Amino acid sequence: MTTAVHVNTSTYATTHVATNMLGSIRSIIKGSGLNPDLLRDQWAALEHGIATWLSSRHLATVTLEVYHPGKQPTDLVGRFDFTINYGYYPGGDGDLWLDPDTVAYAIRKNGSYPARCQYRIVIDNTPGHPEIPGWTATTYRSTAGFTRHVVGTALGGGSLGAGLSYYTRSSR
Amino acid sequence: MNAVARTVAAVPVRTSVQTWEAIAGLLAPAGSPERDRLDAVTNIAAILITAEYTRQAPIVIMPASGRRVRIRTAHGMDAIDALDGEIPLAASPCAEPGWTMSLPCGIDDIDEIRDALSGHPGIDVRDLTDGITVEETVSASGTAAWSVNYDEMERP
Repeated sequence: MTTAVHVNTSTYATTHVATNMLGSIRSIIKGSGLNPDLLRDQWAALEHGIATWLSSRHLATVTLEVYHPGKQPTDLVGRFDFTINYGYYPGGDGDLWLDPDTVAYAIRKNGSYPARCQYRIVIDNTPGHPEIPGWTATTYRSTAGFTRHVVGTALGGGSLGAGLSYYTRSSR
Repeated sequence: MNAVARTVAAVPVRTSVQTWEAIAGLLAPAGSPERDRLDAVTNIAAILITAEYTRQAPIVIMPASGRRVRIRTAHGMDAIDALDGEIPLAASPCAEPGWTMSLPCGIDDIDEIRDALSGHPGIDVRDLTDGITVEETVSASGTAAWSVNYDEMERP
């Protein structure tokens, strides 16, 4: 089921996408059997960062990176990406919408992670983004040997759309 | 004793954290010791707001004295409409020690949120489909047990 409302303010679209994208990440974490404590403890910082960089139009991707500490040769076990499209609705008509079924589908197709897996949130910004205290530079874990699955656009607002994809280990 | 009800505009007018900050601003002055208690549960409350549990059922505050306060959040178009209608409370119900708070939560999240609130005495979580039982100080002479009118609790 998709829910939508109509407004004509890009600020509202930014807030809608920022908060509900984080809510969707929380749904993925809980639905995948991961411990939600870390996300909860970082909620304010994450929401502030996402909203700020969406507003400045530097936010490219918000990633949930799942890893299994100590696993070799790579500890990556999975990943979910929300990729921002600033021109999803050219001239955005103001609809604010969220499709939890898209998120639920990705969770169901991906399956659960082992209990010892951990996660982190990684944000990819385009150059020139404003700095926010508390955020540090990092690099993604390699996705070599993984297959990316595109699910579709999970939420949007104004001209913004956030497409969801996930990675699973490729069959040998 | 009657309750005071307020509605606070949430997403997309405010982020979830900004919404909780607005609610906390209604309840206790910034910088006060009791406000620190509210600030300390910001992340937890923001999650409940994001899930819109606070739209479905009110946050209920029982002050040390005075009327109970119910706060709901408005989301989507309702939030935009609610912004202009926000009314400050006549008094800050959490300004003085002794207040308690009940936060609404969906059954899927209630165990997690209850655990997270274990270090925050006086702030509890309830199944949003339940009413609450309140023991409230009504005068300097003693306390009275209250039974809650659930129909009244569910009114906007």
